[in-house]
Amino acid sequence: MNIQNVDHLVHAYKIAPWRIQRQWIGNALLVVVVLAMVATIYLDVTSQAAITGREIQDLTVSISDNQQVSADLQTKLALLTSARVMEQRALEIGFRPMKSEETEYLVVPGYLILEPDILSSVPLLQLSALTIPPEYNESLLDWMDKKIINSVRGIQ
Amino acid sequence: MRLQYARRIQVLSGALGLIALAIVVQMTRIQNSPEAAFFRQQASVYAYELQTFYPDRGEIYDRNGHLLAGNKSVYEIGVDLNIVKDSHAIASAVSLELGMDYAQVIDAIENPSEGIYYVVLSDFVEVEPAVRLQELKKSLQDNAEEGVLGSLTGLEFKSHPQRSYPENSLASNVIGFVSREGRGYFGVEEKYDILLAGSPVQAFVPTDPNKAFEIPRVMNGTTLVLTINRDLQAAAEQILDEALDTYGADGGTIVIMDPRDGELLAMAVTPRMDLNQFWNYGTIYDNASEFNSAISMPYEPGSVTKILTMAAALDSGTVTPGTTYLDTGAILVGGATIQNWNQEPWGLQDMTGCLQHSLNVCMATISTQMGAGTFYGYMDGFGFGHLTGVDLAGEAAGRLKLPGDEDWYPVDLGTNSFGQGLSATPMQIMMAASAIANHGRTVTPHALHAMVRDGRQYNVPAQFGGSPISEQTADTLSDMLVVSLESEGSLALLPGYRVAGKTGTAQIPVGGFYDSTQTNASFIGWGPADDPQFMIYVWLERPSASIWGSETAAPVFGEMAEKTVVLLDIPPDYIRQQVVAK
Repeated sequence: MNIQNVDHLVHAYKIAPWRIQRQWIGNALLVVVVLAMVATIYLDVTSQAAITGREIQDLTVSISDNQQVSADLQTKLALLTSARVMEQRALEIGFRPMKSEETEYLVVPGYLILEPDILSSVPLLQLSALTIPPEYNESLLDWMDKKIINSVRGIQ
Repeated sequence: MRLQYARRIQVLSGALGLIALAIVVQMTRIQNSPEAAFFRQQASVYAYELQTFYPDRGEIYDRNGHLLAGNKSVYEIGVDLNIVKDSHAIASAVSLELGMDYAQVIDAIENPSEGIYYVVLSDFVEVEPAVRLQELKKSLQDNAEEGVLGSLTGLEFKSHPQRSYPENSLASNVIGFVSREGRGYFGVEEKYDILLAGSPVQAFVPTDPNKAFEIPRVMNGTTLVLTINRDLQAAAEQILDEALDTYGADGGTIVIMDPRDGELLAMAVTPRMDLNQFWNYGTIYDNASEFNSAISMPYEPGSVTKILTMAAALDSGTVTPGTTYLDTGAILVGGATIQNWNQEPWGLQDMTGCLQHSLNVCMATISTQMGAGTFYGYMDGFGFGHLTGVDLAGEAAGRLKLPGDEDWYPVDLGTNSFGQGLSATPMQIMMAASAIANHGRTVTPHALHAMVRDGRQYNVPAQFGGSPISEQTADTLSDMLVVSLESEGSLALLPGYRVAGKTGTAQIPVGGFYDSTQTNASFIGWGPADDPQFMIYVWLERPSASIWGSETAAPVFGEMAEKTVVLLDIPPDYIRQQVVAK
């Protein structure tokens, strides 16, 4: 078999109709696979977002419950340390009200009476749209939209 | 053969293409069909659910962080009529635990109104009975056969916050209360109702977890920190209650204020009510002004007003402390004779003597010398007839008749000088007297020390009302009042501390005439005189042990002042002077 025959065979192989069809089929399958991958990623991101959203819903309820429990406990504590209860306890263990002439004052140079600046507990920040990063409420399409819009603005 | 194969492929491709197109067309048609619109509408009903949020109403603290008003959980107990299994079991359990009528509960469950699927049996149920019912429901469900619903199925529990007052009646007149509808009444609860907020909010909440970011943010109410000192308030209420017993008074008021900035440290009145049982309001009070007599109940203050007349006279140059005056026991003003409290002449007196012996004739003489224009100008400057602006709901302004008013007569110039013929609340007298204690400037009394919102505290600055008199006048008069108390050997004196003050005994008008057997006994004082840190006002209504303020209100002031210096850590004068010297 000479070189000319080999070139002929290669040429015949290249222009064979079944080969062109395979190329078409391959390209079509590639498109299908790419679409499937995009769909899979989209599904994954969407399901993750949904799970996170559900967690947010649960946490919101949980925060509300905990705040209510905290308020209950705070009120119970205030009841246990109310003026009347504390006075009663003090009297029971032998204390009595002091008179002004019984007070002894010491002059301490440089001492200043400090008053508390914040007198109540600091409330925790509540859940809101502002505190949730966009990754948790943005779909893939939203993300692509944003990127496209940003790139268009960048070009302009 | 190859051509035939290709044709088949083309036909097959075309057919598949047509099928695909048909599917797309059908999908598009279905998506846009009236049925789809109907289903979308149906879905939208379930996409959001209407929820009621109960944000916590802002708490109220005293100046040292003691909780005066907070929130606790209570339950709404109802029945979901769609899933009720045994209405008799529910009625038995509920009537037993909550004391409700069995027949009424059965009727509510079995004969609901048209379209009703949820019935509220009871609201604001305390935690303990609600938890017992919940446990009973759970145990019945646990003991039921597999696949069978428990007999309390359908009984529902919804918790929500309710206002709670851990100190019960302490400072009830300052705090006020909140109704079950969430509206504040009286005190700071009413004055700052919008700030404290906490009203239930209804909002549509998305059920779609992808829309979790749309969950509405319901802000809790603003927390308030009051200027009130809880321990001082408790002491004031205790001393007031004891004073009513000791002196047989019908009612009373003790107010303690910092004259430097107007912060109210304590405000005790009678009667008081347990704020946790606010529904008893109607049985305790006859009218709204009784809830906080310190700001809502104007009365003729009597001789405590003399310090203001003297302030006006000194400031206008009508008299000096050394000005002498011959008291003859009577003076004619506007055609009416004015006499001293004992209807006796007191002879030659200087201005300190006039205050010490509380001479009506002396004051009437001074006011007539000043003239109506000057006298009423000063009284207006002191705030008579005006609201003080105290941040508590329900303040009354009192009355100061002025020349030109239909009911003003020339004799009023004389009687007003010693506190008759005009009316003022204790709060107004304190604001006016703060000009003397605070070197000429009146302070606006207030109960709010700070607001706390989102973790940030905003302190409320002091506000000043005006400068009706000069600093020199104020300091001079303060010294005169110290001397007059010490010379008199007043029961208001506090060993180790120089205090300035004045008694007041005002006869109460009954049927158009003053009744000498019924009086309002008052005392206003402040200390330490050289650096006032507290101002105390005592008012006893109709004391029966003695009609005189010097024998009733003055010792109450002394007792209160002693408690105040202990609780506020105010050292005796000689210790303070040592500190200042260093």
